[in-house]
Amino acid sequence: MSKTIYPDSNIPAELSVEVIREDSLRPTRKWGRSTQIWLGCLLMVAGWGLYAYIHQLRHGLGETAMRNYVSWGLYISTFVFFIGISHSGTLVSAILRITKQDWRMPITRIAELMTFVSLLFGGIMPIIDLGRPDRIANLVIFGRVQSPLMWDVMSILTYFTGSTIFLWLPMIPDMALSRDRLTVCDSRFKKFRKWLYTKLAIGWTGSKTQWKRLELVMTIMTIVIIPVAVSVHTVVSYIFAMTLRPGWNSTVFGPYFVAGALYSGSAIVILAMVVFRKLYHLEKYITYRHFDLMGRVVLALTLIYAYLNLNEYWIPAYKMATAEGHLLHDLFSGSYSTAFWLCQFGTVLFPIIVMCFPKGRTPGMLAFICSLIAVGAWVKRYLIVVPTLLHPFLPIQDVPQDWAQYFPNWVEWSVTMGALSGILIVITLYAKLFPMMSIWEVVHGAKVEENKRIATEKGEHEEEELLKAESVHAKTSKGKTTIVMANGNK
Amino acid sequence: MQEDNKKDNKKDNKNNRRDFLRKSLITGGVLAAGAIGLEKVFSKEGEKTSTDDTTVFTRDGKVFRADMECLHEYKAPPVTNEEARKGIAGKKFVMVFDLAKCDGCKKCTEACQAMHFTEPDREWIKVYKMKDAETTAPYYMPKPCFHCDNPPCTKVCPVGATFKRQDGIVLIDDERCIGCRSCLAACPYSTRFFNWSDPIQPVAVANIPYSPEHGFPRQRGTSEKCDFCPHMIREGKMPACVTGCPMQTIYFGDQNEDAVTNSAGVTVKLSQLLEDNSAYRYMEELGTEPRVYYLPPKNRKYPKPDMESIGKEKKDDGKKPNSDMGNMVM
Amino acid sequence: MNIMKIFSITTAAVLLCGVSFAQAQKSESSIQLSFSKKTDNSKIVNALVMGKKSGEKFSPAKNAHISFYAKKEKELVLITKSITDGQGKTNALLPKDLPLDTGRYFGITVKLENDSVYENSEEELRLKDVNLAIQLNPHDTARIMTATVTEITADGNVKGVKDVPINFYVQRLFGIMPAAEEHTVNTNEKGEAVFSFPKGIPGDTAGNMTVVARIDDNDMYGTVESQSPCAWGKVVPLEKDPFPREIWGAQAPWGLIITLSILYGGVWFCYFFMFFQLRKIKTEEDLTVNS
Repeated sequence: MSKTIYPDSNIPAELSVEVIREDSLRPTRKWGRSTQIWLGCLLMVAGWGLYAYIHQLRHGLGETAMRNYVSWGLYISTFVFFIGISHSGTLVSAILRITKQDWRMPITRIAELMTFVSLLFGGIMPIIDLGRPDRIANLVIFGRVQSPLMWDVMSILTYFTGSTIFLWLPMIPDMALSRDRLTVCDSRFKKFRKWLYTKLAIGWTGSKTQWKRLELVMTIMTIVIIPVAVSVHTVVSYIFAMTLRPGWNSTVFGPYFVAGALYSGSAIVILAMVVFRKLYHLEKYITYRHFDLMGRVVLALTLIYAYLNLNEYWIPAYKMATAEGHLLHDLFSGSYSTAFWLCQFGTVLFPIIVMCFPKGRTPGMLAFICSLIAVGAWVKRYLIVVPTLLHPFLPIQDVPQDWAQYFPNWVEWSVTMGALSGILIVITLYAKLFPMMSIWEVVHGAKVEENKRIATEKGEHEEEELLKAESVHAKTSKGKTTIVMANGNK
Repeated sequence: MQEDNKKDNKKDNKNNRRDFLRKSLITGGVLAAGAIGLEKVFSKEGEKTSTDDTTVFTRDGKVFRADMECLHEYKAPPVTNEEARKGIAGKKFVMVFDLAKCDGCKKCTEACQAMHFTEPDREWIKVYKMKDAETTAPYYMPKPCFHCDNPPCTKVCPVGATFKRQDGIVLIDDERCIGCRSCLAACPYSTRFFNWSDPIQPVAVANIPYSPEHGFPRQRGTSEKCDFCPHMIREGKMPACVTGCPMQTIYFGDQNEDAVTNSAGVTVKLSQLLEDNSAYRYMEELGTEPRVYYLPPKNRKYPKPDMESIGKEKKDDGKKPNSDMGNMVM
Repeated sequence: MNIMKIFSITTAAVLLCGVSFAQAQKSESSIQLSFSKKTDNSKIVNALVMGKKSGEKFSPAKNAHISFYAKKEKELVLITKSITDGQGKTNALLPKDLPLDTGRYFGITVKLENDSVYENSEEELRLKDVNLAIQLNPHDTARIMTATVTEITADGNVKGVKDVPINFYVQRLFGIMPAAEEHTVNTNEKGEAVFSFPKGIPGDTAGNMTVVARIDDNDMYGTVESQSPCAWGKVVPLEKDPFPREIWGAQAPWGLIITLSILYGGVWFCYFFMFFQLRKIKTEEDLTVNS
């Protein structure tokens, strides 16, 4: 099979529309034993996390390892990490869409899903961290817009709404397809599926006007979601950067967090690509070329992130101001130095070096590198949050031992792991209900490739080829509507 | 002579018997109270307050006694929440610490803890042993809340649970606080504390109506800090730490009146005190504009702090040594 | 019968044990007295009682029972009894007509007696009763105050007392503040001391404040104080806007509100526009099927 794929193609051109559709829909139709076991395990972890959270609710945050000095710990670090991951969807989907990178098509859905899910649980983390979750309504009743936390609430709500729409919009034609093909397949929960697909398809028939409207809406959303995404991670950094604390009191924090978010988010997208490619047998669609290109994207983002790391640490390290100096000593050569240098060398520098080589951008290598990056990004969030809190301006003197140190305890680990498995549960459920590729976009991509190939074969001169390819491209983007219109008419 | 002795003995005996009876009564009482307390702990989970009004057990099983004499201060109905948020018009409260007089006795902390029924580890006013550099002299630095005029803590509060009043005091409304701990992160002076678990407080305290002006009864999941004792100010009295300082280190007063008073009742002109002693505010460069001034520890009359002893003196108290650096666990 | 015997023996044994561990020894004690007379001519004796266990330092004696006596010739007349507070302090309001001795002095004796914790001790106070009157014009721009110290002689005449140091203060929130660096003036032949209050002492919003003349802790007269309101203070106006629209305030600055409204309003406008378009997709369903 793989022989017939063009080595440099985005989507195999010779695949028929029908094959693409079936390849995308097939995995949603069966809930195998492995899926059930996997979900069962996840539910157990999530249940345990829920138990830990209920324990925390009953006895207070005193059940965590957080104390007066380290008043934010694993929860907030995880919050920042999850919000970071959420940038993947915007990056891959919106930025690549806006720059007309056609190769994005088979992976946009995965990226958008990551955004949606990580935002969902990222938004929950600060609520878990609240001392009085029962008073959450006070945010509305007494809300102060001067508070960076309020900006967080507003931004995350806006981004969550936006990314939910952004996930759903390209799903509409696919939902119509799922709806229409439901009768021919032996799927479980048929009634529920029918209802769900019909609702989500909002009466999609594939008419010209509907396509026009969807195009318009998609264009608006693609443009709007990018600044919203940037704002989210910027204001997340502001809950730290707006304080006077050494280590947080930094003007580079906004871009630093955004870069960190893109770096970890794109790595997570690659991980998800690897997983779904394998599990859903999408090797035909998500090719080495996709990994190569995404690898380049991650490489570029890691370089930017490394550059911002340099700014964030080298500038204060050069000056070694008193309070900042204490913190930096602790990070560079103190109790956090192992984690710090592992993060810098193991998950920033090492991936850069590896990804520079084409062989480092193969699915296997990228899976390894991106796992490193994901873990590194998480640890880095922890290293941003915790050591700073342990280095206030005034010395920590004569306090109980547990105030002057921090390491998350079982409650925090359980709740965090519960949230993580929650993410995986939602991803699994989604992947078992909805196609993991944007079918109509992939179909369109295939058509583009096909036309390109035809153009190449016909053309004699390079210039002509290019010209023709372009004109065909333009034609197809019009012609697309006719191709996919078939969806609605069974 | 012997007879006299006998007589005395008899008298002593009598006294002792009385003493003994009293003691046994107390013991019995304590035991009974303990039993009731235990019953309560087991019967009603989460309620950790002791039945005995004056004796409270901390989380690690130690006993601390709340001075119930302070309770009479709160009989008067607290001001409304609205008034507590506005503060006293026309006043601007300031505190001045004469570091030359501070001998680090921590009586201010004790007085504050008694007044606010805080748990022993909540030092709303904390006496630091400071040494700015290897070559400079060590000194004691008591640190309350600075009640900054550009307060970083009230800026970040998402619900206005901590706020600045017109009299300069920064307070916390525990009935509004959602427990996000942004203020703990924002305060550069580590002034704020958080009620991580159910507060440990005597029943009598728990029954007092809450007011942001005295900050108790405490509630789990909310933050707390030094409040400049506005409920005392309303009675014309100075904060507990000021009156509790035996060294007359702490001055308190109204900046609009240009006068501050110390525990000996000596009232001096604020502007002159600050000028004559070249007063400073801690970390002026942060721009928080504290309402607390320090007079440099010049010509100190008391022994300098022993920097070696940091963290060691409370060893028997279950608190293990720690300092700023070197013992963080990752 | 036997049981009773055993019981009584046990009791005795327990009591003996009690004797051995409770060797009650009374603490040493001392009393310090001070006298003060206020503007309303009320006379108060303040007592501070300190106690000291053997080998320890003196510390305030809590709950010590003390009695205040007035000296009438050679007898002591009980005025009142009192118990000290947590700081070892207590006071007693003296009656208006105190018995005077031949030198026109009055005598107060304070005794700590029959206390279960403290040894007996007593302290005496012998002072002269003088009056301190002040005259001032509340709106006097020169801010001059005259304090007059008088005493009543044996024949009932009022006579000025000379060479009494009088300190001038202004009342502040928590105490009285010396009005100037040189704030002491001795009375002249007529018993008068004249003091000019300096300019610029902050008053309230109308410039009102309370000025105080006081004989401080005098060996012969104790503390005698007289105060009066006046309008000599600097006007300290109320803050025009005590709750400004600031980042740290309860209300946000307009700039911030407008900026955030535009940013988020813009985004949400787009969202709503989208929803509107999507609704149209739904309603167009029927049209296309027909076409």
